Amino acid sequence: MMRLRGVVVATLVLLGAMLAFGADHALGQATLVATYAIAGLGLAVIVGQAGQIVLGQGALVAVGAYVEALLAQRGVPPFISIVLAMMAGCLAGACASLPARRLGGLYFGMSTLAFAMIVEEVLTRWESLTRGGAGLSVPALGWAGMEAVTPLAQFLISAAALVLALVLCRRLCAGRIGRAWRAVREDEVAAAEACGIDLVRAKLAAFAVGGALAGLAGALYAHWIGFISPEQFGLFFSFELLMLVFIGGARHLRGAVLGALVIVSLPQFITLLRDVLPGDWGRSAGVESVLFGLVIVLVVLLRPQGIAAKGRAG
Amino acid sequence: MPVQREAEGRERLSPQPLILATGRVGGGGCSSSEAANALSLPPMSSLIQVLSSGVAIGCVYGLVALSFVLIYKATEAVSFMQGELLMLGAFAAVALSFGLDWPLWLAALSAVGLLGLLGAGLERLVLRRAIGQPHLVAVLLTFGLGLMMRGAVTSVPAASHDMYRLPFADRVLEIGALALSLSHLQVIAATVLLAVLLTAFFRLTRAGLALRACSEDARMAALMGVPVASMHTLAWALGAALAAFAGMLLAPITFVHLNMGLIALKAFPAAVLGGMSSLPGALLAGIFLGVAEALAGYLLPEGFKDVVPYALLMLALLLFPAGMSGRAQVRR
Repeated sequence: MMRLRGVVVATLVLLGAMLAFGADHALGQATLVATYAIAGLGLAVIVGQAGQIVLGQGALVAVGAYVEALLAQRGVPPFISIVLAMMAGCLAGACASLPARRLGGLYFGMSTLAFAMIVEEVLTRWESLTRGGAGLSVPALGWAGMEAVTPLAQFLISAAALVLALVLCRRLCAGRIGRAWRAVREDEVAAAEACGIDLVRAKLAAFAVGGALAGLAGALYAHWIGFISPEQFGLFFSFELLMLVFIGGARHLRGAVLGALVIVSLPQFITLLRDVLPGDWGRSAGVESVLFGLVIVLVVLLRPQGIAAKGRAG
Repeated sequence: MPVQREAEGRERLSPQPLILATGRVGGGGCSSSEAANALSLPPMSSLIQVLSSGVAIGCVYGLVALSFVLIYKATEAVSFMQGELLMLGAFAAVALSFGLDWPLWLAALSAVGLLGLLGAGLERLVLRRAIGQPHLVAVLLTFGLGLMMRGAVTSVPAASHDMYRLPFADRVLEIGALALSLSHLQVIAATVLLAVLLTAFFRLTRAGLALRACSEDARMAALMGVPVASMHTLAWALGAALAAFAGMLLAPITFVHLNMGLIALKAFPAAVLGGMSSLPGALLAGIFLGVAEALAGYLLPEGFKDVVPYALLMLALLLFPAGMSGRAQVRR
């Protein structure tokens, strides 16, 4: 029932946006929403389900994007390269989760931040492979003469990937590993000592799933944007993803979709708002940051449980 | 990918001649003269110059880490806006000094004071709501506030276009063959002075004692009659003022510009290395990271310098999860 309503609402929003902004623009934005939602879903598994603080999810997305870009440039067919990008994300996630063997909470969060900084620095400095800050251009997603260049095709691919990811995460969360994650989230010591849950394995699994989804999102993102550079995946992107998960309500998987919708559409609203603002002030470059920060602060203050928290637990 | 890279880095760290043998260094490659330079033992005087600049920048890392730990201990809030506070403080000093023609010392002191007031005000208005919530709430709140500060400074055209230099005395002090930058010595002296003042505040004054009590155990402090809410305000005010002070110290080293707050990203490793719960630990860890970074910039090929703090943090977290001071709680 809930799922059906979600699909109906999503379709209505998409149709409304197509009427308002034109079909291609709306589909392009919807593609971005779906791609962000996949990355957000990965983070929601780690933060919302397993309860770990992650401050560097952007780095995992970057790994997926770079692997996909490098493979696509060399003509590797997408169904192989995307799987490899997901595996790279998964592996990077597992690396990032290594300190979680012995650390919890904030210390671990800081280690993910350090991990992200190292990845960003490597991407910037390894110029022979990544061309550093100059960035890489990514060919269109395509195989055997077919290329996903129209907004509709890109949207359909993203949406299909999102639905698959949602279904997979739902199944995982409903199963044994999902119960283990929630136990770790509520109380690490009690979960490990009283219930016989393997903490290391549970955290590793959460990061593997989160990293694979980040890799998938990164691979798709690289194709849709067509150009990647290290700073696209910096700290700001990591916080955007955190924000996305928080807005949607960290404990609800479907919140990731809602959060992605807000995060992607926010800049558009801010652009609209800037035109309304009086005088020169509205045109200066800093206003976007001010308004974006304001929205973050207001959402956190007014809806600390996230927007999706009103309904039943997902 | 990062793993392979780390392995390469470690290989390069050990014997220096290996670099010459492989002939390929760092991401972009490095000229043979640089490698030869790294090979020969550094002369004593230039080593001391590298160390002094490392200690100076480390003092700034340490002060920012100190402000971070001070806030974290007192309110359990993780502040991601210390860098923006630092930047705002430096710009406030620039505005007072150039805009209003105040003398430098007055402008700097007023800027630190103003930022303290701002910190207190933000605590009353916004950050108070984060108490008792998960860490993520404070992280996002402070990140949002930081974005707003950054955006506000960006929208002042004079701030976003130019770089400023506060007119601190900047001469080169020559002692024999040794040439030390006076600004580095100033930074070190100011940090020592501030550390003494802070110690006196925490040991000798009533408010300092109350703040310490509040950091140890807020509930017990409240039962003993400590006004915990005011202490939270005080902690944020102090934290903001300390960050602004670090901004003053950074101003003569780098210029005053929009991205100077990025230095706070290196203060996080310092805070964690110091154990997140010890103020002297944070300061010392900051200085340690500054020196390590300066040495890495001197001895290792270009590009490794910026990774050093994070690599050290990862290593420390993997090897000593209880923190360098050894007393910190592992799980928080």
